[in-house]
Amino acid sequence: MDDERGSVPANDAAFLEVQRFLNREAALLDRRDYMAWFDLLADDVNYAVAARVSRPGESGPLDYAIIDEDADTLRLRVLQIGDPRLTRAENPPTLTRRFVSNLEVEAADPPNDYVAHSNLLVYRQRGTAPDGDFYAGRRRDLLRRDGGSLRIADRLVRLDHNVLFDGSLSIIL
Amino acid sequence: MDDVTHIRYGEPWVDAANGTVSREIFVSEEVFRLEVDRIFHRLWIFLAHETEIPSQGDYVLRTMGRVPVIVVRGSDGEVRVMLNSCRHRGTKLCRGEAGNARHFVCPYHGWSYALDGRLISTSYDEHLPADMDKADWGLVPAPKTETYKGLVFAAWEPGVSELRDHLGDIAWYLDTLFWRTPGGMEVLAPPHRWRARANWKIGALNFIGDGQHVATTHAGPSTLNRLHSKKEGFFVRGGDSFQVVTDEGHGCTLTYLAPGMPEENYLTHPPRLRDAYAETLSAGQLAVMHHLRVMVGNVFPNFSFIENQVALGEKAVLIRQWQPVSGTEVEVLSWVLAEREASAEYRDRALKHGFHNFGAAGVFEQDDLELWASATQASDNPIAQRFPYSFHSSLPFDDAPIENAKGPGRVYRPSNTEVAQLAFMRHWDAAMRPRG
Repeated sequence: MDDERGSVPANDAAFLEVQRFLNREAALLDRRDYMAWFDLLADDVNYAVAARVSRPGESGPLDYAIIDEDADTLRLRVLQIGDPRLTRAENPPTLTRRFVSNLEVEAADPPNDYVAHSNLLVYRQRGTAPDGDFYAGRRRDLLRRDGGSLRIADRLVRLDHNVLFDGSLSIIL
Repeated sequence: MDDVTHIRYGEPWVDAANGTVSREIFVSEEVFRLEVDRIFHRLWIFLAHETEIPSQGDYVLRTMGRVPVIVVRGSDGEVRVMLNSCRHRGTKLCRGEAGNARHFVCPYHGWSYALDGRLISTSYDEHLPADMDKADWGLVPAPKTETYKGLVFAAWEPGVSELRDHLGDIAWYLDTLFWRTPGGMEVLAPPHRWRARANWKIGALNFIGDGQHVATTHAGPSTLNRLHSKKEGFFVRGGDSFQVVTDEGHGCTLTYLAPGMPEENYLTHPPRLRDAYAETLSAGQLAVMHHLRVMVGNVFPNFSFIENQVALGEKAVLIRQWQPVSGTEVEVLSWVLAEREASAEYRDRALKHGFHNFGAAGVFEQDDLELWASATQASDNPIAQRFPYSFHSSLPFDDAPIENAKGPGRVYRPSNTEVAQLAFMRHWDAAMRPRG
């Protein structure tokens, strides 16, 4: 799924369009504007986050999913963390800053869709804790053209963590 | 072993007669060190499900208190538990969380061991004195290792009772989750692992019987699931409920479906497995399982389990372990299981629903962990520790188990008192007291 070899790079115009899209998405999530963020998703979206099992090199990599949602369950998750009456982990809201970089954009099929690979670094500060934490990973998004705009049809975030820290993951990556 | 002789037993850490428990034991590093010595390095500790290591040479790495161990399936099919440390100079033999080995070779100086722990070679055997017997220098095995219904436990105290005796009456309830078909259960994915700045006992108490936290802590999923289920024309309502306390500090809480909920099924259990359940479980166990909405419990000290029906089509069996890291930090491991006979579609759904609710990003889990960390932080100071925690809602019910309960153990109604939690603390207190 994250195999980036042998792909056809998209042209520069497409690259810029995807970059703007992902930057805008990151800004919406940092502002906790989940309803606007939800509008960036395709109706049949699949949203998954995986962490890693630390294994000997000879055994090869192994991931384990920690989130695997369709639009219905993702909506429940977002309604919970977006409503201060319905969340303990996100009330007070955690502070987040997302950095999206090392973008690679491939042409997909049909030709106006794209597969985007990006590095994601999220700084997160919870409550009154003196220190922030970081989530790091690489994302693979299938972006589908719907009318004039792009929508996320499929996202897989492969975190570079085998043991997650400081409680459960309560933000969108 | 850690010298804990100077650590005093605090009187009274657990004041069961008055329904109070010291805050100190939920934060103190000294109490943690004593717990490691008296509990985690002595008693039966859960390590793995045997389906995590199905083939010869498969291993997973786990921790018992502060002891890192290899849980490996040998060439003879036996599951063994051994200290993950070379007898020569201590290096870890295995350094990933899971893998497969034909033998264990130390990466430092090359001592090599068979899967059963026998020392094969030191690489320089010709330099060893003639009277050194390699049979004395194998990997250190846990003196007690047993598997109950797929659940692998070990203990470092050779004198512990047999595992089946240690489990006692809680085994009857474990069977309904972990061995209800002829093939047993199977782990569906590697365990989720995450850390929280909370004391490990809070998790154990929460699972053994904390009916009071659900409405407040989990206002989010409780409210949203209700709305979501109404839309689908189905809402899983809880009916009669019980707490069960068994010997050795184990216990669980059971909630049945409300009257009027669909009778003629096991709800989301695969219908084609019903014959298999009937073949495997007793009539009494089947009767309990038939109407169960949720069973959640804890085997002392840190093995928790839950099967929870949140909404239609959402049911999963989970194992949860509270691995202590320090007085104020816990590493949580969480597995999702399903029947080996279940279809691929059912297993996939159980896995997704399992970790949607409980796991490293679970919608229930995230709120629990935040509040447990908050309790740990606020109690980690001497002023707060002048004021014990309250377990008072156990007291009016403590001496009054109900009669004619459907299952074994001491059974209490209603389920949302603190009877099972206080029973856990009593057993903890007994385990921590000086010997002799």
